[in-house]
This record gives sequence, C-alpha cells and structure tokens, in this order.
Amino acid sequence: MSYFNKLYAFLFLPAVVFLYNIVPKKIRPIILLIISYIFFFMYSKKLVIFIIISSLSIYWAGRGMRKLNDKRDEKLKQVEKEEKKAIKEKYRTYKKVILILTVLFNFSFLFFFKYLGFFTSIVNKISSLINVSCHFKIVEHVAPIGISFYTLQAISYLVDVYHDKIEAEKKMFKVMLYLTFFPTLVEGPITRYAEVNQSIYEGKTVTYDHFCYGYQRILWGFFKKMVIADRLNVFVKTVFSCYMDYSGLTLCVGAVFYTILLYMEFSGTMDVVIGSAEMFDISLPENFRQPFFSKNISEFWSRWHITLGLWFKDYIFYPVSLSKPVKKITGVIKKIAGMRVSSLVMGGIALACVWFLNGLWHGAGWKYLFFGFYHFTLILMGDIFEPAIVWLCSKFHINRQGKSYTIFRIIKTSILVFIGELFFRAPGLAAGFKMVKRILTNFHFYGFFDEIAFLGMDITDYIIIGLALLVVLVVSIYREKKISVRDKIKEKLIALRWCIYYALIFTILIFGAYGTGYEPVAPIYADF
Amino acid sequence: MEKLLEILEELAPDVDFKTCEDLVDGRHIDSLTILSLISEIEDAFDVQIPTVEIIPANFNSAKKIWELIERLEEDN
Repeated sequence: MSYFNKLYAFLFLPAVVFLYNIVPKKIRPIILLIISYIFFFMYSKKLVIFIIISSLSIYWAGRGMRKLNDKRDEKLKQVEKEEKKAIKEKYRTYKKVILILTVLFNFSFLFFFKYLGFFTSIVNKISSLINVSCHFKIVEHVAPIGISFYTLQAISYLVDVYHDKIEAEKKMFKVMLYLTFFPTLVEGPITRYAEVNQSIYEGKTVTYDHFCYGYQRILWGFFKKMVIADRLNVFVKTVFSCYMDYSGLTLCVGAVFYTILLYMEFSGTMDVVIGSAEMFDISLPENFRQPFFSKNISEFWSRWHITLGLWFKDYIFYPVSLSKPVKKITGVIKKIAGMRVSSLVMGGIALACVWFLNGLWHGAGWKYLFFGFYHFTLILMGDIFEPAIVWLCSKFHINRQGKSYTIFRIIKTSILVFIGELFFRAPGLAAGFKMVKRILTNFHFYGFFDEIAFLGMDITDYIIIGLALLVVLVVSIYREKKISVRDKIKEKLIALRWCIYYALIFTILIFGAYGTGYEPVAPIYADF
Repeated sequence: MEKLLEILEELAPDVDFKTCEDLVDGRHIDSLTILSLISEIEDAFDVQIPTVEIIPANFNSAKKIWELIERLEEDN
C-alpha cells in the first residue's frame, strides 16, 4: 500500500488514529508497533522476518554494550587512577567487537538482497577477462521493503550506543518500533534514536489540531505528487526509454522534467510521511530544505535528502577523515604542503568513501557508482578551486553576495544537478553517455514542438504544471525566509482557512493526474 | 581561548569568531575547515576529538569549541 494510495490516506490512517486514541496510553506504542508490522507484511510478506532479526540483533548488541559499560564502571571504582586507562581500553575493545560483528551481520542482509547480483556479475566479467572458467549464476532477490533505510537506522543506533551517545534501550519493543515505524518504513527519513525516542513512545492523544495539521501536510504532499510528478511521468518515461529518437533539446527538457518529478515525488512522499507522524504528535526530521536555492553542489546535498547526507557525514565522513591511517598520511602532507592541502587530502579521501557508498546505496549498478563519482568530483573541485574563484571575483570586482552572482550560482548548480539526474534516470551508464553525446551533437530547435506534442502532455498539462510549480516556488521562498506558510494559514479566520483547504483538495481532485492517459509515478526511493 | 581564536582566524579570516554563534548551522565554516580546525586543535592542545563530538552544537561558536577543548582536557 503506497502512501499515495487513497486507502492509506482515507482509510488506513484514520483507522489507525481511531484505534490509537481509544486504547490506554501505555498500549499506544504497542499498537503502533503492531500496525507497523502489518504495514510491513502488506509489502514484503514473509520477509518481515529480516526486520525482526535486525531489530533483535541491535537490541541485544545494545544490551551487551550496556552490560559492559556497567562492568567497566564497577571496575573503575575499585582501581587506582593509573589502571583506569587500561580498563577503559579493554572494555572499549570488547564493545568494538560487538559493534563490528553486529554491523557486519546487518550489512550481510543488505548485501545479499541488494548487491549480490551486481557483485556476482562483476566477478563473472573479471573471470572471463582473465580466461578463468568460472561462471556464477546471477540471482536477484526481492528485498524486504525499506531495507536500505532501516539498516542505516540500525547502524546509527549501534554506533551511538557504542559511543555512549545514547543509552541502550531496555525494552525490546521500543527498538523494534524504532526500525519499523510505518510512516518512515518505505522511504525514510532516516531517523536517529535520540531524536524520536521521546515522542514515538509517549503515546500522546491525537488532538483535533494535530489531526488537521497532519492532514494539511499530507494534502500538500498529494498536491506535489499527483498534480506535478504524475503529470510529468509519461513524458519522462517516453523520453528516457526511446532517447535515440529525440533531439538534444528534448533530452534536456526530459532531464529537467525528471529532476522536477523526482523532487516532487520524493519531497511529496516526505510530506505525507511527516504529516502522518504529526497526527500522533511525533516530530520527524525534514528531508528537504529548498534544494534548488543551493549555490553549489555541496550545499545542494545539505538540502536534498538531508537525513541520508547527515548519516554519511556522521558515520562515514568524520570517522574516515579522522581515522589513524588518514591522519598519518595527512600529517606528513601537512608538514610538506601545508594545512590547506592536508585538509583537502583528508576531506578528499573521506569524501571518496562517502560518495562511493552513497552511489552504491542508491542502487547496485555502474550508473549509480558514476552518480556518486560525479558528485564527488564536483564537490572536490569546488573545494580545490574555491580560493581561485574568490581571487577571480575580487580581481573582476564581482560581489559574491550580490543578487546577480547568486542567481548565476543557483542556475549553475541546478544545471549540474540536472546532468547528474540524467545519468541517475538513464537506462544504464552507457545510455547516459549516449544521451549526453546526443545533447551535444544533436541540439536544435527545429521540430522541437512537433516532438514534444507526442510525449503525453498537452497545453493544459503544461499550464497546470507551470501554475503548480509557481505555488511550490512561492511556498519555498516563504520557507527560505523562515516564514511558516502553515502558521500563516493557521492565523486566518476559520472560514478562510477552510476555503484554502478545500481549494487544495479540489485542486488535487480536479487537476491531479489520474485516470486514462496518465500513469502514477512508482515510489522511486522505495526501490533503494 | 586566545590561542583558539588565533587558529580560527587563520582558518577563516572573514568570519567574526567573537560574535558568531552559528558557525556550522549558518555555513560560515564548511566540513573541510572543521577538519583543519580539528587537526590544529589536536596539535595545539594535545587532545583527541572523537568523531561523536563533531556535532554542530560543539562547533557553532568559539565559546562552544573552547568548552569542548576544556572538557576533553579534563577527560584526559
């Protein structure tokens, strides 16, 4: 059951809210857990066993680390100051063993379901290249829903317990609910235990305000998905599947449309997810912060899929860049070439790891690895050439904070994003390069309107999309200025407020792209 | 504290570290500057900054960074 299914929004969710409200407060988190497992089961049936195993493994590992902490603290009380360091070190090693084994155990499921086929094909290719007669059968498995998301959450829980950032949870069902909570299950956001453990288990009564507030956000998500993303879907699908039939200009439009579609689909899903949780007074982290106002790629990734970026920053970027081997290398470089070069190398090594894993996280395929490499290169180039750009700007008296230069940077960043998304959506890496080649060699305006006339969208579609995007842009500008549109609506008189809600509902009903000639976008990030 | 301010000003001369209280959240310093800063702090104050301490709350102002250094020195 997709989050955009009518059944989810108008039957499942109200039923859950009703059930949640009528049971005693203590039982409410358990109700959420049962519902979440039912939700999981509806998607992945018997594969539910894997999320149970993951939950139990991190629960027991956490408990194990907690026991070691207690033992360590007891021993520390009994010994002299000089021995304390050795005891701390000893127990840290024990904890590290538990951490590494449990992380590997959880990653093994992810590897089995997502990457085994891809790596088997690589092994087969290498063996045929070196004339070794071994050929493994490539087996693709259907993965449990949300495995890429809940595995990262599981790892964050373990690492945070290991570092004593959070206390290991005593109650098993709480850890299970943390991984399975139904709104975040399919496409995130990737939450941290510390940020949700208060609200998720509190079992607060659903109030009228929270119910309305949640639905408001859900409707906004439906608007983005059904009015914009679904309307663009046929165009994008046709262009990307028969890219050799179209001119470079049409392919450019296809790449731009796909990026808009992806943003509207994913951020729309996040609106539904966050809105669903809001109903229960559970606050989830935001995953988007007006990404298309970014002035460079690095900033773009701090505004797009924020929780994934933060996960990589906290659990890969800093640990790698501050690891002993990297510090050793950069220590030598610092003496020879200075601080700036050494921090560039330090950051570069960590960034390479982050983007290799980020590409792989999005999918097992060369195009995803290239997608990671592309962004790694852009971010690293940005860091390397930053001083030169600052120098050039001062030489030519360009105000870096000025409006025109800012607009130029925003447009430049958006174009780089469109290119990245073209590879991301292309049927394969080779197809991506062919599309770029076609854009460069076959770019012309001649026959453009004839071409796009047969791509599933008529003039009405373009007008509706244009107006809907304008609404999204206005809301984004408000949010960028830290003005809450929702609070503004809340301040209005009840009659006007309901007029706005009805306008949104009727816009979705009338202008939503469903029925003959349209094809709803499948949940894109659910496949990752 | 003065030693820390010297390091900070050398790494990002355009930022007013005496008043700025959103160094990370306001993107006044990026992750590369944080890496340089950590490396400099570790050398200058003989402390080890664990990755778990690299959170915006610890790096948003010179005062917060100084509090972190003091805490790590105490732990040592």
